[in-house]
Amino acid sequence: MAASSRRWSPGRRKRQAWLTAGLFLFPAIALYLVFAFIPTLEVFEYSLNRWDGISPDREWVGLGNYDRLFGDRIFWEAFFNTVEWTAIIVVINVGLGVVLAAILARKIKGRIFFQTCMFIPVIQAPITTAIIWRWMYQPNGAINEGLNAIGLGFLATPWLGDLTTALPALAIAHSWSTLGLSIVIFLAGLQAVDDELYDAAKIDGATPVQAFWYITLPALRPVTAVVFVLTATAAFKAFDLIWGTTQGGPIRATEILATYMYKRGVLENNYGYGSAVAVALLVIVTLAMAVYLYMQARRDD
Amino acid sequence: MIKRHISLVVAATALSGTMAISALAQTEIEIWVGGEPGTANVYDDLAAAYMAANPDVQINVTKVGSDLFNPVLVPSLSGGEGPDVFMYGTGPGQPAAIINGGLVADLTPYYRQYGWDAMIPESIENTTSSDGRLWAVGNEVENTAMFYNRAIFDELGLDVPETWADFEATVEALIEAGYDTPIGLGAADRWPISHWQSMLFGRFASPAGVEDVMFGDGAWTEAAFVDASALLQQMTEEGYFGPNPVANGYAEIMDSFWAGDIPMTFTGPWIVPGAVQSLGDGIADYGTFQVPPMADDQAIHPTEDIGSGFYVNANSEHLDVSADILDFFFFNNDSRLMLLNNGTIPIGSLTELLPDSTLPAITADLRAQIDSHRPNGTIHAFLDTVTPASMTNVTYDGLQALMLGVMTPEQFVEAIQAEWEAAKADGAILMPGGVADN
Repeated sequence: MAASSRRWSPGRRKRQAWLTAGLFLFPAIALYLVFAFIPTLEVFEYSLNRWDGISPDREWVGLGNYDRLFGDRIFWEAFFNTVEWTAIIVVINVGLGVVLAAILARKIKGRIFFQTCMFIPVIQAPITTAIIWRWMYQPNGAINEGLNAIGLGFLATPWLGDLTTALPALAIAHSWSTLGLSIVIFLAGLQAVDDELYDAAKIDGATPVQAFWYITLPALRPVTAVVFVLTATAAFKAFDLIWGTTQGGPIRATEILATYMYKRGVLENNYGYGSAVAVALLVIVTLAMAVYLYMQARRDD
Repeated sequence: MIKRHISLVVAATALSGTMAISALAQTEIEIWVGGEPGTANVYDDLAAAYMAANPDVQINVTKVGSDLFNPVLVPSLSGGEGPDVFMYGTGPGQPAAIINGGLVADLTPYYRQYGWDAMIPESIENTTSSDGRLWAVGNEVENTAMFYNRAIFDELGLDVPETWADFEATVEALIEAGYDTPIGLGAADRWPISHWQSMLFGRFASPAGVEDVMFGDGAWTEAAFVDASALLQQMTEEGYFGPNPVANGYAEIMDSFWAGDIPMTFTGPWIVPGAVQSLGDGIADYGTFQVPPMADDQAIHPTEDIGSGFYVNANSEHLDVSADILDFFFFNNDSRLMLLNNGTIPIGSLTELLPDSTLPAITADLRAQIDSHRPNGTIHAFLDTVTPASMTNVTYDGLQALMLGVMTPEQFVEAIQAEWEAAKADGAILMPGGVADN
C-alpha cells in the first residue's frame, strides 16, 4: 500500500505527465528548432554582417545594415506597398470571405459545387496563379476582352503596366488564390452557430441582413481573428505571385518587402543587407499580429 | 585440395570482377545549363556525343531556369557542392562575386594545354577573363536585330528600311495599317528593354565610348547616353512599341509576333531553334535587319555578346575531365557544327563550318549582316548581363520609368552612373580582361 501510494503520488504523476507531453512534443520542437528557429537566428546574425553569401569571411558591421535600411528610400517604398497590399488582401479575404461563407452555409442549390470552385485556387501552386493572372491582365487579356464584350471597354486598362493599378490588381489575384481557405474557416465557424438563433430571429421579424449582422458576425468574431492572422501573414510574406508577374515593377509599383529582400540579398549577392530586410519584415509581421491579437483580446473581454 | 583450388578460382574471379567493375566505374559530371528550351537541348546531344567517345564518363545535363541560377547555384557553390560545370554571366560585373569568392576554377592552364587561344576572339576573351586568367569559355555568340514578318511587309509594300527616315516611315505605315504595336517589346519583363538600351547606347556612344565607361574613366552621364535614352523615350511616346509596352510580357509578345499580330520585334537568334521546331518551314516567312543609323554621323555597329560563359566549379573533383568536356563542346569541329545546326553560333571562326552546316536561313542571314558591318566595330548586345546585378536592377527600374515618362533621360543616366560608381567602390567590377602570356 505504501509502495503503491509512493508510485502514484501527485508529484510523480505530474512529472510523468510532463515527461509524456515532452516525449510527444519533442519531435515537433526539434523540427521547429532545426528548420525554423535556428535559421531565423542565423539570418539575424547575417544581418549584422556585410557578406556576399559567397566568401568565407564576413565583415562584422553591427547594426550598420539596419542604419542603412532606415535611410533606404526603396525599403520604405516597399514597406508602404506591403502595407497597402496586405490591407487590400485582408479586407477582401475577411469581408468577402465572411459574406460568401454565410451564403454558402445556407442550403442553396449547387453549394458543394461552389465551395469546390472557391477552394480550387487554394491548392494551386502560386506560380500557376501568377501565370493565369498575368495572362488575364495582359492589355488584350481576358479581363479587358471581357470588359469590352459587355460594353465596359472604357474601364479596360493595362492593369499590370499602370503604376496605380498594378498593386491592387495583384492583390486581387492573391485574394483569389487564398479566399477559399478563408471561406472554409468561416464555414467551420458557422457550424457552431445554433440554428435556433436564426429561427428565433425570423420569428421576431429579422431580415436576412439583420440576422447576418446581429447573429452571424458576432458569432464569427473568434474565427475572424484566425482568418485575419492567417491572411495577413500570408500577404506579408507573399513572393511568388509578384515575382511571377511583375518582379516588383513597373518601376517599383509592386515592390513589397519580400521581393526587395530577394533582389538585394540573392540577386545582388548582398546577403547581409537582404537579411536585414528579412529581419525587418519578421519584426513588422510579429508586431502587427501582436497588436491585432491584443486588441481582439481586449475587445472580447 | 580441390576445395582449395575452387576457393582460389572463386577469389580470382571475384578479384578480376572487382577490377573490371573499377575499370568501368564512371566519372560523373554534373552540368547546369540555362537558356531557351530549343537552345538548351543541344547540350543533351553534345553530352551524348562526349559519352559515346568517353564511355567512362557519365554527364548529367540539368536545365535550370535563369531565375533560379543565382538562388540555387550560388549557395550550392559556396557550400562546396553544386555542379562541376555551369553556365553563368560574363563581363566585368556579373561573375565578380563568384570569381572573387574563389568558387570557380582557373581555366588558364587548360587554355594553354588545349590551345583555346587560337579560337577565342579577343573581345570574348576580354569578357571571360580578368587579372590575366581565363575563368570561363563563352558558349555562343549572340546578337540582337530587328526580326520582322515578311508577309506583312510584302502585303503593305514595305521594304527593309535603310535609313532612320525609312524606319520612321515604316512604323508610321504599319500604324496606319492597323498594327497598333509595330514593334513588340515585352517591357513588363524588363530585360527586353535592355536590348534596346544596349543597342542605342552603343550606337550613340560608339564601341569605344562604351568601352571607355566599362574599363576606363568614362561615365554613363555623357551626352551620347542621354541622347540614346531620350530616343528610347521618344519612340515609346510615339507609339513605336504600342500603347502599353510596360504591360506586355516577352512571351506574350513573341506569341503575337509568331501569330502575325505584331510585325517587328527586336530580339536575338536564340528564338530561332524553338521557332524552327514549332513553325517548321514557316520560319522562312520571317527575316531580320539591322536598325538603321539614327543620325548622320552614326554607323551600324552590330550588337554582339556571348550568351553566357561555361565555368568549372573550383571544388569539382574532376577538373581535368570538366575542362576536357568544355574543349569537346566548344572547340571540336563536330560539336561546333552540332551547335551551329541547332541555331547556336559557337565562338570563333565559322569559315570551315558554314559549308557543312544546316544553319537556319534566318540565322545565316543575320550572321551575314553582322559580318558585313563588323568592320564598324561591335557593341554590347546585353549591357544588363555584363554590369553588376545591383546596377542591373537600377537600370531595369529606370528603363521602365523612362518608358512610362516618369523619369527624364538625364535622371536615368545619373541613376545608373551612381550605381556604377557605388559598385566600383565596392569592388564589384573586375579589372579589364585578357589572359596573361605566361
